[in-house]
Amino acid sequence: MSLALEFRGITKRFPGVLANDAIDMKVEAGHIHAVVGENGAGKTTLMSILFGLYPADAGEILVSGERVRFTSALEAIRAGLGMVHQAFRLFPTLSVADNVVFRDEPTRRGMIDRAAGAEGVGALAERYGLAVDPRAVVETLPVGVLQRVEILKALYRDARILILDEPTAVLTPQERDKLFEVIRRLRDAGRTILFITHKLGEVMAVSDRVTVLRDGRSVADLVTAETNPTEIARYMTGRQVDLDRRAPAHEAGGAVLTVTDLTVTGQHGRAAVKNVSLEVRAGEIVGVAGIAGNGQSELIEAVTGLRDVPDGSIHLHGNDISTSEVLTRRLAGMAYIPEDRHGVGTSHLATVSNNLLLGHQRRDGFQSKGWFDRKAVRHHARRLIETYGIRSGPINSPVSTLSGGNLQKVVVAREMSHGAPLLIAEQPTRGVDIAAIEFIHDRLITFRDDGGAVLLVSAELSEIRALSTRILVMFDGRIVAELDPAEVDEAAIGYYMTGAHEEALSG
Amino acid sequence: MAEQPLDAPAGVGSKIGNVAGHPALFSLIFAFALGWAIVWLTGGDPWFAYREMFDGAVTGSGLRNTLSRAIPIVGMALAVSVAFRSGVINLGGEGQMVVGGLAGTVVAIYMPGPGQLVIPVAMVVGGLAGALWALLPALGQTRLRLPILITSLLLNYVARAITGYLVRFRLLDDSVTLTSTEQVPATARMPKIPVFGGVSYSLLLVVVLVIVIWVVYGRSVSGYETRMAGLNGRFARYGGIQVERQTVYVMAVAGAIGGVIGTHMILGDAYRYIDGELVLSGLAWTGLLVALLANNHPLLILAAGLLFSGLQIGGLAMQRNADVSWRLAQVLQALVIVAVASRLTFTWFKRRTDRGVTPGEVEPAGVGEV
Repeated sequence: MSLALEFRGITKRFPGVLANDAIDMKVEAGHIHAVVGENGAGKTTLMSILFGLYPADAGEILVSGERVRFTSALEAIRAGLGMVHQAFRLFPTLSVADNVVFRDEPTRRGMIDRAAGAEGVGALAERYGLAVDPRAVVETLPVGVLQRVEILKALYRDARILILDEPTAVLTPQERDKLFEVIRRLRDAGRTILFITHKLGEVMAVSDRVTVLRDGRSVADLVTAETNPTEIARYMTGRQVDLDRRAPAHEAGGAVLTVTDLTVTGQHGRAAVKNVSLEVRAGEIVGVAGIAGNGQSELIEAVTGLRDVPDGSIHLHGNDISTSEVLTRRLAGMAYIPEDRHGVGTSHLATVSNNLLLGHQRRDGFQSKGWFDRKAVRHHARRLIETYGIRSGPINSPVSTLSGGNLQKVVVAREMSHGAPLLIAEQPTRGVDIAAIEFIHDRLITFRDDGGAVLLVSAELSEIRALSTRILVMFDGRIVAELDPAEVDEAAIGYYMTGAHEEALSG
Repeated sequence: MAEQPLDAPAGVGSKIGNVAGHPALFSLIFAFALGWAIVWLTGGDPWFAYREMFDGAVTGSGLRNTLSRAIPIVGMALAVSVAFRSGVINLGGEGQMVVGGLAGTVVAIYMPGPGQLVIPVAMVVGGLAGALWALLPALGQTRLRLPILITSLLLNYVARAITGYLVRFRLLDDSVTLTSTEQVPATARMPKIPVFGGVSYSLLLVVVLVIVIWVVYGRSVSGYETRMAGLNGRFARYGGIQVERQTVYVMAVAGAIGGVIGTHMILGDAYRYIDGELVLSGLAWTGLLVALLANNHPLLILAAGLLFSGLQIGGLAMQRNADVSWRLAQVLQALVIVAVASRLTFTWFKRRTDRGVTPGEVEPAGVGEV
């Protein structure tokens, strides 16, 4: 069996960090090879070195047996490598074909031949079973299709080795399954796929082999058929991990949050939330599932006071808070872990201590008559850092020095530290490593068991299913289903998420 | 400074203890080196010129002049920094200064009574007038979504026109050829501290203001909330800070400081309000540069304000004695600011090359001040 790609002893040191430590990896031609590892394990650095974004300090890379050293991504592409990034790099106002042929346009007498381009792209898509209309304008297409456009871009340049970086992060379960079909078809056509992920289920579902990275080293090279998720997780984290935790059912108490007939206006003045009613009771976690952009963000912004409520009402413990200021809601017992932890949940340039204080700065323990009790503020910060195991420097160092997982712990610690009876948790574990996910999930469950009410919004169906007492599915601004997590699988939730049930009803 | 439980008042990279590593120091060295080269290339003697500049700024009457000129520079820098630090881009310092200055002058001229009463009242009225003037752009932003950046700047011209009208047609002193109000009576003039040949008591006022602002920044809830709003408005809103209301307060404070400084310029310095004089002085803009150089830190503003004042006063002496144009002082000021501004570029460049150090790690601090 020939090797499509080989890394030999790749080492890369950044100031204070050994990002890649003598990584060896062999990728066989015509295989789907998964690369897994937690955040900071060195996956991104390794791929950046492969694509010539920066040189390795030591080691070498071989493509089809030949030593290569790319100095730019363009060289890598010419050598037959294709990268599909997490964030799509497309021109939204151009057609699929225009995007695909960009910089490699077919020409006729020196002029771009757009018809030939569209035809070629259409043929290519058909050959690999990628259902894409080459003439469709990119901005009108759903995310799953955009990803296929990115794949087409690589195939159009005849990439022999296709690298997919966390490709499923933005997909619904159905779209994910379609992607896997495409990947398998590409493999069967002789292409080599490098599949970068941190989701073990996907590794098991689609890969032939798997390399596990941890702390910049490759710690395991496994044949997928001969391993299991628990073993991979153990290599990823260096310890035993229980993957099948389910939050046991719990007796729910009285209503904490009541949303009645809520309508919220989103961008461009259209209704983003339509006539939504829901209730979160003490001691339960209500999970809201849905594809991004179906009104979840607007619902949460309305509940937390960041967006006006034109119609309907929001009650917290029976008090109408529909028009209350954010601070009033917070003091009345609402805590909020926001989706965008960099832009909303923290302030990069402010200190760890200041980040842990926001939202509580007017509480009596911390200040009197507008002057801080600095000892109390300091003590609060130190206590949270200790209780929540936040790895940070001194409390007056900027929060930007923290890793993603620790940054999220800052947000979680701040929001959960004042015994608020209601917690709004929006994508609480997005982009953080397994250890932090476990920790945050534990905290949410403990909070629930202590009688707290949680409204959870997550794009991770596994998270929704693992934590929720009840699942609400949002589609097109409405709640289209209320499901019992014990009785449904991900496919069933996905069915409602895409609005498929409505199509079924309307025939 | 001992341990800082809250942010250093103006935040990252601006603690006094960090001055050696502060880009400001680099900027100064850069500016003076380039200035040296300019003088040398034009056939002058840079060493002599710099020595004359230094002597002119700190010896003899130079020290008094430097301290006196530092009063409005530091004051206007404080006014602008209060707003900038909260993320409010107030470019209306000039208008707030002339409106407040004229209002204070009118009180000083026409209010009867002893100086101990008239002077404080004039200051308060000047401050109130400046604050009210500053409220116009503030309310324009919070109520009508007109950006303060634009309105505060344009209102400077309106302020010039209104005060010009009042001086010419309502308050004109016919006995002189100047377009000016009457003189402030001797009793209503700001007395002088009998040191260095007499410096206005406004110096004490400014120093007190520096300390008060420094303490408020570091220890009060308002100082914290304004800082958070300045660093990240979305984070501040999320945390329950009422950013709109805060913008109004902050503009009022900035305008009040501007108005008080404007009043001082008449009661403590010129003794008559000459139309256009405060605008020509460029004090509001020098203050803005000082605030930038000091990164809004009140103690650094005091230092930087003294420096710029010394440059301007020393520059005149240099022209007199070394035959090098005083405009070199302006060139030096400009170079310092260019160097400070380019630090943003350095940081940006550094960030680019650092990208991907540890996936999931966020950007280094130091960008996005002001």
